[in-house]
Amino acid sequence: MARLELIDLHKRFGDVTAVQSINLTVADGEFLCILGPSGCGKSTALRMIAGFENPTGGDILIDGASVVAMDANQRPTAMVFQKFTLWPHMRVYDNIAFGLRLRKLPRKEIDKKVDDALELVGLPTYGKRFPSQLSGGEQQRVALARALVLEPKILLLDEPFSSLDALLRVRLREELHRIQRQTRITAIFVTHDQEEALSLADRIAVMSKGNVEQLDRPSTIYANPQTLFVADFIGTMNLLPATASDGHLVIGAEHGYTLPAPQGVLHPGQVTVAIRPEDFAFSSAPEPGMWPGEIEQVIDLGHYRKALLTAAGLGTLKVYLPKSREFQEGEVLGVKPVRYLVYHETGSPVEVQLGPPVPVS
Amino acid sequence: MGSQTAARTLPQRQARQRSWVRREGFGLVALVLLVIGIIGPISTVLLWSFAEQWRYPALFPTRWGVSYWAETLSRADIRQALPTSFIATLLVTLLSALICFPASYAFARLRFRGRQVLLLSYLITNALPRFGLYVSIAVVFFRLNLIGTLAGVVLIQLLNTLLLMIWIPTSAFQGVDRALEEAALDVGASPLRVFVQITLPQVYPALAAALLLTLVGTFYETYGALLIGVPRVLTIPVIMFPLINNQPVPQYGAILSLILFAPSTLLLVFANRLLRGGYLTAGLGV
Repeated sequence: MARLELIDLHKRFGDVTAVQSINLTVADGEFLCILGPSGCGKSTALRMIAGFENPTGGDILIDGASVVAMDANQRPTAMVFQKFTLWPHMRVYDNIAFGLRLRKLPRKEIDKKVDDALELVGLPTYGKRFPSQLSGGEQQRVALARALVLEPKILLLDEPFSSLDALLRVRLREELHRIQRQTRITAIFVTHDQEEALSLADRIAVMSKGNVEQLDRPSTIYANPQTLFVADFIGTMNLLPATASDGHLVIGAEHGYTLPAPQGVLHPGQVTVAIRPEDFAFSSAPEPGMWPGEIEQVIDLGHYRKALLTAAGLGTLKVYLPKSREFQEGEVLGVKPVRYLVYHETGSPVEVQLGPPVPVS
Repeated sequence: MGSQTAARTLPQRQARQRSWVRREGFGLVALVLLVIGIIGPISTVLLWSFAEQWRYPALFPTRWGVSYWAETLSRADIRQALPTSFIATLLVTLLSALICFPASYAFARLRFRGRQVLLLSYLITNALPRFGLYVSIAVVFFRLNLIGTLAGVVLIQLLNTLLLMIWIPTSAFQGVDRALEEAALDVGASPLRVFVQITLPQVYPALAAALLLTLVGTFYETYGALLIGVPRVLTIPVIMFPLINNQPVPQYGAILSLILFAPSTLLLVFANRLLRGGYLTAGLGV
């Protein structure tokens, strides 16, 4: 249970900058996800917090005290790794007890703590087994128990479920969520899986090229991505180049599609319009003011339906369609965005809401 | 009905047996030959060592006894050579471990210039005709007054062990996942404790395999010991040469063979129990 602060944290490997500059604060008991594509520096950031990498500059504070000078084995952090890292020559019990024994706790107390930890991760009878006798999911649970049993101030998780299959990943994610809520431990979870981040995190830090692009609550990140990178990376987004002039945004110039520009904010110039697939209104036949789009492909995704539309001058649009009626490939629909974000060169994007949200399904 | 079935199945069974012999016949012959090939020489050695008289064409010794054992073991040269052999072997293995294990850890973990070349260079001592190499080394040792000394024998035998003792542990250390070590650091272990309690247990079978092969290999090493040790430092294999060459007494050779056979057999039995099968080959990367 503790507060973590990263102050202008950066890391260079030779000429390569892995982490450019991270400034963020994680509150006591908060669950922060660091989300980004591979190579964005998220794992390096986590390894600096754990003490496995030395920062080139900046500071790491836990409860207000700098830990940069401490070695990994002295820091009040515990990590669950991406790879399976249970020590193969020790039983589950000894794996979990290893850190406790180093702290010279009495035997009875160790027994109690190990039992409690195994109970917490749902493997109460597994103490006598060897790691090779466990499945991947069980191994990661034990690794989590091994980290939690030391009652670290900060729990670090480096894509712990990425080598598990999809169903198990979701189960363990829910389990981890429960455990974190139960223990109220401050946790930092690194992942490239946005679904994982959106479902686990109190706040998400989206990273790209060594920088934090946006740090916000999941719903805010999804609804109001602050940069084009975040807009493109989180969820599905249609990004359309447009020209602003006279209170209008002209998209696909030769076809003359227009959208209202946000009031009095924009100077004339090039902008990008970002539209979520669920933010389109549609009609069965193109009406005036709507964009005609031919259905190229319909993908049934269970509780909703995704369609790729070809619209002249706009390329391919990704649109969610209701399941209440059937759509044929080749059918021409009229679509019109009811909500969009306008990204311009200076300042943060501007949201435009033209109508009520479109109900999906 | 029942008798008919029996009447039909009997020839069938015979046919099946015939086809089994045909199918497995080759394997059986190979097995028998293999057994004769392995057991044959060993049993001859065993028989000769207890034979006091064995005249052609008798299949077994014509007079049994242990008098040659007593004679062999009471020979002054052999009584001297036995402890020399053991001391040299233990010294070589110990020194080799002290030099090679840290070196192989460095080879596995550090990236330095010439690492690959250096690693391959250990192959050279095994690639050249060994005797030629020893002769040129002997010239150097002669100038250093190492000829005929235990130090000289140990040094030349040490050379032999480098390849195995560096290559096997290097590949083993390379095989240890760094994340396992980081996980131990993470829960608070010191680097030394991580090495002893996490890294070593992962490579222990490979190290044991390398040690074992070195022990056995060094005990039987002949050329180096012969060239450097003679005349003052004599090991058992070196003693065997004149004994067998100069005197047409097969019993000496047989008894010495058995004496040499004993430690390696003991070691292998011990190793087999220690390593619970499979580990030895795992260490060799097979």
